[in-house]
Amino acid sequence: MRRANLNSWLLAAPLTGVLVMFLILPILLIVAVSFWTADAFTFRPDFQFDNYRYLFGSAVAWKVFGLTFMMAGIVWAVTLVIGFTIAFFLAFHVRTQKWQMALFLLTTIPFWTSNIIRMISWIPLLGKNGLVNQTLMGAGIIDEPLQWLLYSSFSVCLAFVHLYTLFMVVPIFNTMMRIDKSLIEAARDGGASGFQILTNVIIPLSKPGIMIGSIFVIALVMSDFVTTRFMSGSQLANVGRLISNDIGLLQYPSAAATAVVLLISVLLTIGAMLRLVDIRKEL
Amino acid sequence: MSKMRYSRRNILKGGAAAVAASAFPAPMIWAQDIKNVVLRQAGTGVSAFNEVAAKVKEDLGFTLEMTALDSDAVTQRAATQPDSYDIADIEYWICKKVWPTGNLQAMDISKITNYDKIAGTFRDGKLTPDSVIAQGTAPHTVGFVEGPGSTTFSTQDSGWMTLIPTIYNADTLGIRPDLIGRPIESWAELLNPEFKGKASILDISSIGIMDMAMVCEAMGEIQYADKGNMTTDEIDKTIGIFMEAKKAGQFRAFWKSFDESVNLMASGEVVIQSMWSPAITAVKAQGVPCVYQPLKEGYRSWGGGIGLSAGLSGLPLDAAYEYINWYLSGWVGGFLMRQGYYSAVPETSKLFMSEDEWGFWYEGKAATGDIVSPGGTVIEQAGAVRDGGSFLDRMGKVACWNSVMDENQYMVRKWNEFVAA
Amino acid sequence: MEKRPRSFYVLATFFTLFMLFLYGPTITIAILSFQGPSGGLTFPMRGTSLNWFRELFLQQAVGDIWGSFRRSLVLGLMVMVTTVVISVMAGLAFRRHFPGSTVLFYLVIGSLVIPSILVSMGIGLLFDRTGLGNHWSTSAFGAHLTWTLPFGILIMFAVFNRFNPAYEEAARDQGASTWQVFAHVVLPLIAPALVGVALFGFTLSYDEIARTILASGSRNTLPLEIWGMTTNVTSPVLYALGTLTTIFSLSLVGLVILSVTIMQRRRARNGSDAGSGIV
Repeated sequence: MRRANLNSWLLAAPLTGVLVMFLILPILLIVAVSFWTADAFTFRPDFQFDNYRYLFGSAVAWKVFGLTFMMAGIVWAVTLVIGFTIAFFLAFHVRTQKWQMALFLLTTIPFWTSNIIRMISWIPLLGKNGLVNQTLMGAGIIDEPLQWLLYSSFSVCLAFVHLYTLFMVVPIFNTMMRIDKSLIEAARDGGASGFQILTNVIIPLSKPGIMIGSIFVIALVMSDFVTTRFMSGSQLANVGRLISNDIGLLQYPSAAATAVVLLISVLLTIGAMLRLVDIRKEL
Repeated sequence: MSKMRYSRRNILKGGAAAVAASAFPAPMIWAQDIKNVVLRQAGTGVSAFNEVAAKVKEDLGFTLEMTALDSDAVTQRAATQPDSYDIADIEYWICKKVWPTGNLQAMDISKITNYDKIAGTFRDGKLTPDSVIAQGTAPHTVGFVEGPGSTTFSTQDSGWMTLIPTIYNADTLGIRPDLIGRPIESWAELLNPEFKGKASILDISSIGIMDMAMVCEAMGEIQYADKGNMTTDEIDKTIGIFMEAKKAGQFRAFWKSFDESVNLMASGEVVIQSMWSPAITAVKAQGVPCVYQPLKEGYRSWGGGIGLSAGLSGLPLDAAYEYINWYLSGWVGGFLMRQGYYSAVPETSKLFMSEDEWGFWYEGKAATGDIVSPGGTVIEQAGAVRDGGSFLDRMGKVACWNSVMDENQYMVRKWNEFVAA
Repeated sequence: MEKRPRSFYVLATFFTLFMLFLYGPTITIAILSFQGPSGGLTFPMRGTSLNWFRELFLQQAVGDIWGSFRRSLVLGLMVMVTTVVISVMAGLAFRRHFPGSTVLFYLVIGSLVIPSILVSMGIGLLFDRTGLGNHWSTSAFGAHLTWTLPFGILIMFAVFNRFNPAYEEAARDQGASTWQVFAHVVLPLIAPALVGVALFGFTLSYDEIARTILASGSRNTLPLEIWGMTTNVTSPVLYALGTLTTIFSLSLVGLVILSVTIMQRRRARNGSDAGSGIV
């Protein structure tokens, strides 16, 4: 037993090393520096308390946290449906590994063009004079350009779905590939319909993948600030933007307080999800 | 990286504490020529021109590495990583935030040849002897410190400068005349319901709040004691007015980078927004009509300058002074003036501009021939007059500067509320 | 080949629509990269030309596209390899509970969740104050790992999920050493999934901004350079870069498929079915 532990520790050592050096130390340093250079940055340590009080007492903070959770919820639901369907198609309907690989690679290509360039290109795609509006107007479906296509909560969600569906596809696809095909055949032989196989065999067995994908998407959406700023034309605020606005004016204690609350709320969310499905127990 | 840089690194590493190392004068051990010096300049893309770096190599012999970042990142680096740059290219209001960290070192004006020719705005705040000093963080208020190593700003010329002014300008509303079709004369027009869903302002709180103040004052809603240093009451009222407008759908989007403002305007998403002069030039270069609209209330102005990292010493420091003197000697000034900015030393820039260019850009005269951008494209034809007129007309009508206020934290919170509204 | 069920066609249509959505911006970029010389980043098109592709290889007014591209490419590959190695090791470790595994697991999740700007600010401070100096290949490399490793490790969870230990036991019974079991049994079985981890590692690093911005030292990676360039006027040169990237990656994928096809043909001719039953 002890040898097995040693083995595990050795295997986990590089990971631990990276996290200590590049995650724990830097974060500790931020906390330290916020005291260390207190007068130089013109803030006092006792601001910390004030920051939390402000955060919990401010209607705006609650609203922004609410919006952040809502966005995460919507994007999670949409990416889950799309991601599951895509993974299902790739895993069970594409027959050769060669084509599975090819189609999978095809879904990653847009991501090799820098995100900033892609974000700029949403304007000519969804803007007043953009491709979508021109096409719709040309087809006579609408008379004047749709404003809500861009710089709205719609466009923010759209961009999130665009960016993050892949993060759902990959883990679900991976768990689906582990499902023993004989199980499905057995179910079919037992007279189960396609839908029954889906709900009684495939979905339960894909749960860990679904959960991992969900963690990706929720974590990504909740800690984002660039996409929300860009796609809403700075008209919407999520928690990430509060933090970055604070940092922009060197209000580090305030930013740190918000970040701590965000971190805790996301960890709680994910912790609750792991209660439902322990992705590690089912390894 | 040159050998010189390595040696400096080694010295830093060798010291028991790198933090302490910068406090002592570094030993003069390098015998290498100044040509091996590499100076790293961090700034925004507004002034990080490759052409300037190439010209430095040609004229001075050493290497200038330009890194372009967004304005937030420049502020953070300047405030927290003095070792990642030798020269910081920042705005004056940022200087007010960054200087107290002690990451920049004051410059001895006796080493600056053209100091006497620097525009008055940066020395005593007065463009001409009878100018009124505008509100906000005017450059001269954060332009000097008591002495080397001091972190308190001096109210007058103390002989030790924080930033050497590089570029500055007066901003106003940019409009699409073809889509508006009538004259625009006041900042108040930004909130005119006529432009519902077609207006925009800047999403950098320290700058955006000043635009807001210009609008509120023009509307007659608020009389500020000092726009550049609002009371919490004034901040509440200002943000309140804009929050209502935002909820009513006045704004299409806000912009944060130069490029965004150009795209919003060129694509017709927005027809009226606060804008920078060169951004308007860029819209025009795409064949889209766009006017930099002088307004009766005056301009909101900004200025940038270069500061030296506290860690800079010895030969690289000498090189940096050489760079500054070269910067003020005219070539860069001419280059920047041709983009629509102003140079801190207009007098020397004149030597590097044609008479027609000088007349058009600085004196506000009608162009006698085509006006060509540094990139080589024709931006104005003969007969054109610069929007807003001459240097004195524009910089003489500055109503306020981009600011950092005493109630800074309160303002950011309110700004966050505004964005979330 | 048995007949395809009807659901295949429904799902294939869905997949095609999804791809269309995914490629929407890519297509817009492709069209606009052929803007005329006076055109901008948005519609309308002002003529068509190859001007911006030519400009891409000339020096820009601001920024150094190719220098930063080289840095990003090298960094992306470094991060990719490291992510795969560390993720596989950690994935193996996490197959059983060990003291500290829960803490480590939540640390991994925390690394994913923590606002990126704080990570980069902290790393930037650390490397600056200790005199190590920020550099894209050291501090930014570490910053990227805090971002790519959670993805890599969680994907490994999906990979090792219900991984049948019978194969390993069988090999061990035959007298294979731990290393042999890993190299000859486990690795071939998980190899296809590692492609996913590698792709994630590279793509996430190649596109990273928030964690790099204060940790890259005085030289920018490609996304930072482009981000910096947008603080001045940018031009369809950026779109030309996007179009070239897409064309390059499409041909790369084409090449992979081609070589796999050739390999399979050769294998079929030799009568071996090794590897076909994997996954």
